[in-house]
Amino acid sequence: MDRFILGRYINGDSLVHKLDARDKLIISMYFIVIIFLANNWQTYSLLLVVVLGCVGLSRINLGFFLKGVSAMIWLIIFTVLLQVFFTSGGTVYWHWGILTLTHYGIVRGVYVFCRFVLIIFMSTLLTLTTSPLEISDGLESLMKPLKYVKVPVYEIALMLSIALRFVPTLMDETQKIMNAQRSRGVNFGQGKLIDQIKAVIPLLIPLFVSAINRAEDLAIAMEARGYHGGEGRSKYRQQIWHLQDTLALGLFAIVTVALLFLRTW
Amino acid sequence: MVMSITFEKLSYTYQTGTPFEHHALQDISLTIADHSYTAIIGHTGSGKSTLLQHLNGLLKPTSGKLVVNGQMIDTKTKNKQLGDLRHEVGFVFQFPEAQLFEETVLKDISFGPKNLGKSETEALEIARQKAKLVNLPDDVLEKSPFELSGGQMRRVAIAGILAMQPNILVLDEPTAGLDPKGRIEMMEMFKQLYEKEKLTIILVTHNMNDVANYADNVIVLEQGRLLRQGVPTEIFSNPEWLNKHHLGLPQTTAFALKLQERGINLQELPLTEKKLAQKLAALLQREVK
Ligand SMILES: Nc1ncnc2c1ncn2[C@@H]1O[C@H](COP(=O)(O)OP(=O)(O)O)[C@@H](O)[C@H]1O
Ligand SMILES: [Mg+2]
Repeated sequence: MDRFILGRYINGDSLVHKLDARDKLIISMYFIVIIFLANNWQTYSLLLVVVLGCVGLSRINLGFFLKGVSAMIWLIIFTVLLQVFFTSGGTVYWHWGILTLTHYGIVRGVYVFCRFVLIIFMSTLLTLTTSPLEISDGLESLMKPLKYVKVPVYEIALMLSIALRFVPTLMDETQKIMNAQRSRGVNFGQGKLIDQIKAVIPLLIPLFVSAINRAEDLAIAMEARGYHGGEGRSKYRQQIWHLQDTLALGLFAIVTVALLFLRTW
Repeated sequence: MVMSITFEKLSYTYQTGTPFEHHALQDISLTIADHSYTAIIGHTGSGKSTLLQHLNGLLKPTSGKLVVNGQMIDTKTKNKQLGDLRHEVGFVFQFPEAQLFEETVLKDISFGPKNLGKSETEALEIARQKAKLVNLPDDVLEKSPFELSGGQMRRVAIAGILAMQPNILVLDEPTAGLDPKGRIEMMEMFKQLYEKEKLTIILVTHNMNDVANYADNVIVLEQGRLLRQGVPTEIFSNPEWLNKHHLGLPQTTAFALKLQERGINLQELPLTEKKLAQKLAALLQREVK
């Protein structure tokens, strides 16, 4: 009954936890961009060292990150194999029809694998060290400029935080309904494909019913407490940008320079 | 076949090996006799629901084992081996109306038997029978379950479980959220199932009156451990002990205790209104003489 590791927050008081959510959002997005600067073993090693350093600073067990990788392992294997067998150039080790196993192919495969690991580790680090509420507050604050082009930033952030808030609730609900239907003789994930598809209906319908009821209750509860949209609302949780946030940005600027220096042009 | 339920040194841990690890049950050993009416009491989070979910193999022990009507379940038991058990043990979850999904009440009740391989007509026949058993009026059978009142939806859900034709009925806080009248009707219905259908009943409840009125065996859990097991008169005979563990008394017993404090000697504390009335009547008669 392990829950998904992606999107799970682990409370802590490490340096990474204490960074401002906006800072962490900017850094993780920025990091995903600069991963594409890496193109040789020196640059990939540098990025791996940086990510592992951040993971170490967060004082969260490496196992959590590996679980994130294993959750997406099929996608990773598929992409890596595609790279390995369809890249030409270099010494040919093996050849069959359109499939070739070449030196370049293997190297590309390893690089693609590294990219996946880097991206998953970094985004897992963001969600493990930043609570969903902080993330949506951070996003709202970062998207503020978009208000001038009439993007409903506040509503988007509210939708996001409600959605994030209800992920665990819906997962518990799913588990509960699955158990109830199991007790009525349904075997999830067993038998013929057609049976498995049929087994989804007794799960999905109650889940929708409960989600809609919940949404209705929430709307009533919000209106009863005088909710009238984002206009003129002040914030309970203040976001404060500290020196350490600027320093973290600086660190990644240095990493960028090092990447530009180390990469093959 | 041995018809009883035995827990042997059973422990269960949620999310082992993560920071969310939680020892929900520790070293539970107990026996529940065939055709008994067992009440499980304890505070929220004491592990009642976790214990129940072992009974039909939804959870498997982290260590130790349990035997349900001759079928052993331990850490290594495979889901495939549990087919019979799901049929043997009918499990009514908390707020069971959440499991309804079919277009009509009758179809929903017949869902279980169909999964057990019964034909359409057989399944519908069982569904009609069980609808009657839970006192659903005939005119709702063709309605959508979502049009019914809360109490009726719950009856439909319970009928859906009874349609699996279990010998053991497991009820997790089945009266939560019902009005007092609905609660009494529901409890009377379980009593009928216990007396007429000869089911073994295992009930989780916070209502001590229900424990006093209906159960013949009580299991008290505290923080994942078995605190005590015994007959209701035993469990409720010691108000200080109950107080120490923050458990309530049945209304009648609490009332009798107040009488005793005022100097009316009732000897043994009565659990039900009937017993209390008898005792008081006896006392009054003696007084008159
Ligand atoms: N899926 C789960 N993951 C982690 N802990 C859980 C889970 N389900 C229940 N628990 C914990 O196990 C303990 C016992 O829960 P439960 O059996 O539901 O108690 P009860 O039914 O007596 O209120 C509680 O402390 C609860 O927080
Ligand atoms: Mg419970």
